[in-house]
Amino acid sequence: MTAVFPSEEWLKGLEIKINSDEKYADIAKNWEGDLVFRIEAEGNLKEELTFYLDLWHGKCRKAEYKPEASAHPKPAFMLSATYNNITAILTGKLNPMTAMMTMKLKVQGSMGYMMRNVPTVLDFVRVANEATEEIV
Amino acid sequence: MQPILKINLTTGTTEEFIIPKEWERDFLGGASLAARILYPYLTKELDPLSAESPLLFINGPLTGTSGPTTGRFVICGKSPATQLWAESNIGGFWGPELRKAGYDGLWVTGKSQSPVYLWVEEGRLEVRNAASVWGKDVYQTQEFVQEEVGVKGARVAVIGQAGERGVLYSSICCDHGRMAGRTGLGAVMGSKNLKAIAVYGKKKIELADVEHYSALRSEANRTLKQDNQAKIIHELGSASAANYAEYLGAMPSKYYHQGSFANVDNVSGSKMAESILVGTSACQGCVIACGRVVNIGDGTKRKGPEYETIVGFGPNLLIDDLVEVVRLGELCDKYGLDVISTANTVGLAFHLYEMGKLTKQDTGGIELTWGNFMAVRQLIQLIARREGIGELLSRGSRQFGAAFGAEDEAVQVNGLEVAYHDPRGVSGMALSYATSPRGACHNQSDYFLVDWGNTQENIGITYFDRHAQAEKAANVARHQNWRTFFNSFVMCIFANVDPQMQVDLVNAACGYEWTLADMMRSGERGWNLKRAINNRLGITRANDKLPKALLKPYKEGGAEGFVPDFAEMLNAYYEARGWDKESGKPSKEKLMELGLEDVAKELWD
Repeated sequence: MTAVFPSEEWLKGLEIKINSDEKYADIAKNWEGDLVFRIEAEGNLKEELTFYLDLWHGKCRKAEYKPEASAHPKPAFMLSATYNNITAILTGKLNPMTAMMTMKLKVQGSMGYMMRNVPTVLDFVRVANEATEEIV
Repeated sequence: MQPILKINLTTGTTEEFIIPKEWERDFLGGASLAARILYPYLTKELDPLSAESPLLFINGPLTGTSGPTTGRFVICGKSPATQLWAESNIGGFWGPELRKAGYDGLWVTGKSQSPVYLWVEEGRLEVRNAASVWGKDVYQTQEFVQEEVGVKGARVAVIGQAGERGVLYSSICCDHGRMAGRTGLGAVMGSKNLKAIAVYGKKKIELADVEHYSALRSEANRTLKQDNQAKIIHELGSASAANYAEYLGAMPSKYYHQGSFANVDNVSGSKMAESILVGTSACQGCVIACGRVVNIGDGTKRKGPEYETIVGFGPNLLIDDLVEVVRLGELCDKYGLDVISTANTVGLAFHLYEMGKLTKQDTGGIELTWGNFMAVRQLIQLIARREGIGELLSRGSRQFGAAFGAEDEAVQVNGLEVAYHDPRGVSGMALSYATSPRGACHNQSDYFLVDWGNTQENIGITYFDRHAQAEKAANVARHQNWRTFFNSFVMCIFANVDPQMQVDLVNAACGYEWTLADMMRSGERGWNLKRAINNRLGITRANDKLPKALLKPYKEGGAEGFVPDFAEMLNAYYEARGWDKESGKPSKEKLMELGLEDVAKELWD
């Protein structure tokens, strides 16, 4: 299932894709950590957007579109990017490592955990890419 | 910049060398400026370990200004290991202290009749007896000198036993474990009977526009502190790179013959952070604090290893015990040995032992079986003392390999051992190693970070696939130019500082009106000048090559089956550089374009 980004349908599609992708399941089998994505308003995105993913051992246990600000006060990782940068990552125009190393994607959380699991992060981006049909 | 203090240890005479303003403007400071200053003296006939050999400690215009990671200086001369241009970049607090003492450089020539150390205090120089610390390690010597000069805050650059005995990859240490490791300048210092240099001063560092510089500095440091890469290095040290490098097949194992190392996490920065790490340490003014402070169970706080030590004494020798890696790195530091070259040369010994070219008889009974860290410890001790097999090992991998009829097994370029970023995993390193002015060096262009994705689009450093080849050659050249600027600035390559901010800092500090293009041109000028020095010392295109091991595909890991098409890459690189494809020299036009008319004349007329 693919859908237009950003939308609740897209996030649902991403959840389904994560839970059915064998390659991701294998690469991310040791991953334990939830994420909050904060997408800063820019271009076609008129107001800040957040979504939440609870990723655990290669599966997605929970996905929430626009969660309450107080719903997930201490996620394992907080990832922030502008709308243009996040869409560039999702369309493959911006390498996710480039995004991280040039601060187009800001990361808050355990860097030790992140550096141990770069392949998981990169494969998550592949899955998200494949779950995206179109960008608004 | 301030004057350079020249000292002739044979005669005891001193004089001040005033840096010509046009040289500062063209070469900025640090290594590029040193290349300009030393250009007339670095001849083919010069023996790097002779009295005539110059040893230049030099700052950059931002050294000690608390700019983003600018507490650094460089040490330059002619390398006894490579017989080529030598430079080694070092942090700590010594460079800033020299600046406060009234000088931006110390230019040492001659040879003292007996061991001495120099004491530079507030513009005054004293030559003192060092006989009682000759034979002592770097930390014992620092302690002695600090106590004898009796000035709190004095900083001491020092050599260990390796430098005294002329090991060709001896380092110079300042503060606690900050090492100028590469190219063997510790041996040059030792050849002059110079054990240490202590410096102290209170002079204020002058800047062209203090107020503007202060504002820029605050902004740059604030931004740097929030940078992802800086946060990773702060939290995990440079060894943070281990897991991902291994995944890419860019972290060599078993002396560059194995493309993966299953136990990499045992020696990773992440593991260190959650097991033995008890603190961090920083160079002057640095907000990153990459230095590791560890406790390995004996209650003592000691320096923890960085990436090169982790890999060199870990996967390179199939050792997966982090505590042993800490001990081996510390042993090298104490003796004053470069960890990269030591671990590489020891790795070659293990490799030749496995091949049957080196026997137990040759090693004096030591079994060089992979993973045998006790054997590594024994070899390090023998190297520092130049005893037994250590005598041959002390000459570096090229000579060691040659002694056993296996020079081509040595993983080195032009006499400098390859660092631990494998071009089979990150192809840009093929050109970085083959064309670096000091041999196989990863600091003249740590292009592996660009291959990971760290781009700088405002100076044209863009992203290419990590296995792209000739198409990235011009990108590598740009990156080398930029890093040459770092080495003249002098800024640490761990600092992800936007190039425009770097230019703004230069302008505020020096009163220039540089643009990004000026900055890159200065880097390119420095790179070509060092190349010209090396051409004069005998370097041709035939020297721009990779060792055999790096051109053999791995059978496993993230780089399985890949080798760079090096000939094509080099052709494209020469094109991008404007270098003559026959001779390997920068073309006359390129040298003229860069304002190096005298060099063009000498190389071409």
